[in-house]
Amino acid sequence: MIPFLIILFSLTMLYLGATSRVEAYIKTLALQGVILFFIILLDYGTENIPNLIFLSAETLAVKGVLIPLVLMNVVRKNDIKREIEPNIPFFFSLIITSSILASGFYISWLMSDVAISAHPFFFGVSISTIVTGLFIIITRKKIITHIMGFMAMENGIFLLTLAIAKEMPFIVAIGVLLDIFIAVYLLGFLVNKIQDAFAGVHIGTLTKLKD
Amino acid sequence: MIEIILFTPLILAAAVYLLNKKIFNTASLFIYSLLLLFSSVNLYLEPGSFTSYFKTDNLSIIFLIILALLFSGVSIYNFSYMEHDRSSIKRQSFYTVNILLFTASVAGVILSSHLAMLWVFIEATTLSSAYLIYYHRTPTAIEATWKYLFICSVGIAIAFVGITLLSMGLGGFDSLYFDELAQKAEKIDPFWLKLSFPFILAGFGTKAGLAPVHAWLPDAHSESPSPVSAILSGTLLNAALLGILRVVKVMELAEMGDYARTLLLAAGFLSLFVTAVYIGVVKNYKRMLAYSSIENMGIIAIGVGIGGAGLFAAVFHLTAHSLTKASFFLTSGNILHRYGTAEIAPVRGLLKGDAATGWLWIFTFAAIIGLPPFPIFISEFLIIKAMFTKGMYGTALIFFILLTVIMAGMAKNVLRMCFGEDSAAPGSGKSKILEWLPQLIFMLLLLTAGLCLPDAVRAAFEAAASVL
Repeated sequence: MIPFLIILFSLTMLYLGATSRVEAYIKTLALQGVILFFIILLDYGTENIPNLIFLSAETLAVKGVLIPLVLMNVVRKNDIKREIEPNIPFFFSLIITSSILASGFYISWLMSDVAISAHPFFFGVSISTIVTGLFIIITRKKIITHIMGFMAMENGIFLLTLAIAKEMPFIVAIGVLLDIFIAVYLLGFLVNKIQDAFAGVHIGTLTKLKD
Repeated sequence: MIEIILFTPLILAAAVYLLNKKIFNTASLFIYSLLLLFSSVNLYLEPGSFTSYFKTDNLSIIFLIILALLFSGVSIYNFSYMEHDRSSIKRQSFYTVNILLFTASVAGVILSSHLAMLWVFIEATTLSSAYLIYYHRTPTAIEATWKYLFICSVGIAIAFVGITLLSMGLGGFDSLYFDELAQKAEKIDPFWLKLSFPFILAGFGTKAGLAPVHAWLPDAHSESPSPVSAILSGTLLNAALLGILRVVKVMELAEMGDYARTLLLAAGFLSLFVTAVYIGVVKNYKRMLAYSSIENMGIIAIGVGIGGAGLFAAVFHLTAHSLTKASFFLTSGNILHRYGTAEIAPVRGLLKGDAATGWLWIFTFAAIIGLPPFPIFISEFLIIKAMFTKGMYGTALIFFILLTVIMAGMAKNVLRMCFGEDSAAPGSGKSKILEWLPQLIFMLLLLTAGLCLPDAVRAAFEAAASVL
């Protein structure tokens, strides 16, 4: 069941790499939150019930519901529909995302004899998710898409920490902190400020400061 | 003592928020700076700890004293700065609250004895300083804040990946205390350790302003109010660098020192190169200072990367750079106030218009480019010497050329601003005593360190270098 969920997760990343519709990004992120929730439920075991409840509830509430709702709110309020003119055409973007994913799987295959403490499959997919997130940030132009690329990267990091969740719950807990930090700060605060100041949430408008 | 450093700002911040009085805003910063100075001197005399997560050692005490000295200077300067600030009292209180929280989180980074705790506090510095950069609320300030928040968030996330990867390699002991990591460094799986270091370097390096992940730094430093630029440049960059230094130490003990040092050298030289390219063409003097911070972080990384005598030079350089750059930024605040612009071109005749600021501008410039007898000369000289002893003649030559190019680029701009007829609007005031006294004290401290370094101070630097 867990490998199936992880593959599903990696497919959502492919979709993120290829789509241009902003609302589709948000729905995909919500889906990722739900997938992560199920992975925690199935993988975490029952030794530490309070921790399990906290983690799974946080994942579902913040990643699955709260962040997508806030994002959707911002998108509807500012009437953002599509990511236009990315730096790389979507077709190539899809090819690059797929190759990142393929190398992720290749890494997990390579890792299967090195990785003692970590689940190799977790590792490969999460690394490719992190790289894809960075790729989305680099190639897209809208601020809102940048945030979503960052969220995807965030989800990848969360998947990575789940591999050591049992040994070091502390690490996962501060991963959760990172989550809330993003939700509160990047979203609630700045997107609206930029909208007010620049009348358009486009990274091209943020070019006053340069040398 | 550590309790005082970490908790008084919280109490003061609550009081500032509730009282909302101009006098109390500036006074609270001054009160905290005195407490910070007092506690850090105490901690220097007698190392302390607070819970298992915070303690001082020979390395962190240097960082703490720099923070305390610098913050004292800034809090004195702030009395005068706030007098001609035109924001509403509510915003000023919020500014004060954020400075207090920011300083406490920088102190938290410095005092952390646990890698994850250090990471949490670095995140806290981003949170608390975002408002400070945003303070003037101009479109460019928003742009700078956005870049700062976004780039640093990505950086922090990447550092977190690094910490997670490091944790994966901890065979059998699940602890991220620096002491324990150092003791059991050989037991860490080399594969994971090697994999984690580039992530940690890139992640903390983003906050430390090392190229190629420095993009936020010129924007944030040039848009924030001058006292904030001074503490950002003089303390935040150091604190983030401390995170890298701690991990380099573990790498060293795990016999991967060469690998870590090579990466540090690469980042350092890239920082110097980026600065050399931009510093001659910048049109804004605060951006010029920001690029100079990138340069100096690069020099420190190079010093650590060389090793040997370079370690002492790196610690010495770090201290000298913090004090020099803080007084440079504070002086730039005077210029900004007098001429009303941060552009280089319209500013002329600083020496005729406002002699105190003009001479400070020239002397801090001399100190930052490392003219003797200022301490940066000594540290750069020691780094070159360390390169020679290791037979890295080519590296030393490149280092020297890059430093010269940077010096020429800065000199062109700084000197042009100082001479000629005064171009300020008639009636622009001169700087008041509190606007040049802190810089003067920093300069005197630096001169003392450059001319005759007291033995106790030298011993403290040597002890810090031996921790590395």
